[in-house]
Amino acid sequence: MAVRTIEVRERVMARNDELAAGVRERLARAGVPAFNLISSPGAGKTALLERTLADLGGALRLAVVTGDVQTQNDADRLARHTDRLVQAVVTNGACHLDALQVSTALDAVDLDATDLLFIENVGNLVCPASWDLGEDEKIALLSVTEGEDKPVKYPKAFRQASVLVLTKLDLIPYVPFSVERAVRYALAVNPDLQVLFTSTILPEGLEEWYGFLRARLRRRRAA
Amino acid sequence: MHEMSVALEVCRIAEERLGREALPSLRAVGLEVGDDAGVELSSLSFCLETLLGAPPFAGATPLIERRAGDVLRVSYLEIDDGRPDN
Repeated sequence: MAVRTIEVRERVMARNDELAAGVRERLARAGVPAFNLISSPGAGKTALLERTLADLGGALRLAVVTGDVQTQNDADRLARHTDRLVQAVVTNGACHLDALQVSTALDAVDLDATDLLFIENVGNLVCPASWDLGEDEKIALLSVTEGEDKPVKYPKAFRQASVLVLTKLDLIPYVPFSVERAVRYALAVNPDLQVLFTSTILPEGLEEWYGFLRARLRRRRAA
Repeated sequence: MHEMSVALEVCRIAEERLGREALPSLRAVGLEVGDDAGVELSSLSFCLETLLGAPPFAGATPLIERRAGDVLRVSYLEIDDGRPDN
């Protein structure tokens, strides 16, 4: 038999990255900063967004795309805190969102009437790090009920992120979690990480987070 | 974890290059996978063997070469064009 070799040299992620570039262009045209939230399951992505929608949703037009392997539970939870559409993507087993899913979800979002977009990725610190969704920034969440060494165990997620949000700081009295060690691990894998300290329970617990979002909005509006 | 998505995308690239009718003649898929590509090699191999073993494929072999960095690409396809050697 005659075996023929065909040169391909095509990046496996090329199609996803093309679609992500399309999403990025749509968002840039509409002037919408977009954040891709990544964490392990249970770190508090949905809780953070619930409070954010409730506290800022009056002044800002916030759009959310949620990704889950099964159920629309997160989207349903978030929908209670906003009149706007919360787009749920059910990945049916896939461990991450991809750019096609986000692009399709955004078809139903009026980006010209949107100030900020949050993409709540599937809870997973491994796979979402490999998929560009067209966001401006990836934001990694780490809760104090987890191990402080998550950043060194899952370096790609923390290296890809520009911001680390430490969550559930209200639980610090009850858990053996060293904030100092966690931050040290995080900065070891990514010295440029901006670290925000949050609690959805404590009064003022989200001030740093809201300050960050407002700063990003100002920067986009000045651009 | 996301190796199945990667494997499906490799199959899509092969189909795009060869056309669906030619897929049964595919014998091997050459891949370059970087150490920092976030891909587990044995898992990717397993997913590819499973997909390439079922129609429209007819048992092509994934040939994975490790690389430094985060490269992740299909480098070549080997097909049997059905003609005798000489």
